[in-house]
Amino acid sequence: MADKSKLGMEFPTYTFVVEKEKIAEFAVAVSQKDNREQINPIYYDEEAATKAGYQGIPVPPTFLTSSFFWTGGGLIGTANILGIDLSRLLHREEEYEYFGNIYANDVITRKMKVVDMLKKGNGKKSVEVTVLEAELINQRGELVLKSRSRLIEK
Amino acid sequence: MDVNYDDIEVGNKMPAYTSAPITRTHLVRYAGASGDFNPLHYDQTFVKVIGMNNVIAHGMLIMGIAGEAITSWIENKYLRKFNVRFLSMTEPVDWDDTENTKDRATIIVSGEIVKKFEENGEKRIQCDIIAQDALGSKKLSGFFIAALP
Repeated sequence: MADKSKLGMEFPTYTFVVEKEKIAEFAVAVSQKDNREQINPIYYDEEAATKAGYQGIPVPPTFLTSSFFWTGGGLIGTANILGIDLSRLLHREEEYEYFGNIYANDVITRKMKVVDMLKKGNGKKSVEVTVLEAELINQRGELVLKSRSRLIEK
Repeated sequence: MDVNYDDIEVGNKMPAYTSAPITRTHLVRYAGASGDFNPLHYDQTFVKVIGMNNVIAHGMLIMGIAGEAITSWIENKYLRKFNVRFLSMTEPVDWDDTENTKDRATIIVSGEIVKKFEENGEKRIQCDIIAQDALGSKKLSGFFIAALP
């Protein structure tokens, strides 16, 4: 069961470079293609991205979720820290708020914290809810993305 | 081609998007691309141990497919918000029984414009979206907000 004392807890900040190859790989995966020649060229070709009005190679809308898995032991590590039982864990809701574009080679710092922990419902039907919020800030100090993840334990 | 704010009315539909039937290869590819290596998504022996019949797709892959559906219509750079609530799990297609399993693995993303408004000096739309399989089972519902030229 989620450990309520973790409400408000801030995870260690994590800084990473948005790798160009990783963007293309992700775009291939979500568009269910076999290779990059089949996807929207803005995700691998700088010229195509510029032509489409970007200042670099942009990331697909859900790309930054990946950073969650690259640090702190990923989902398992995060669940352990929060006392969440992995076998009962469900990802219920995900929200992104975009404040600016994220491009290949940007250096992103992620700040994540536990913003809510509550119990919903009664008895056998009750679920434990944990809400994580992350802010992603680029190398110029600009907030580019905010994400909110609602996890539940059934 | 950019979609213009003035060309869109409340009640308009977003172009429907139909995914390829999701295969285990797609799940492995998404696992690698995202770093989400939960064995629930690709290891048949693991799912048996926890009492399930089949591996299931990453919820975030279905959201990623919905993101692809949206950005096939509205340029990525115009997105301001994207929210989904996950409703049910998705099993991939079985190669030894494609006829009976391809529909459960095919995701159809549709949407409808519910609001036009100005915010932060931008002309924005809100579009409610839904992703369901070809049998009609709902996978996720949510919305996106975009600022349009």
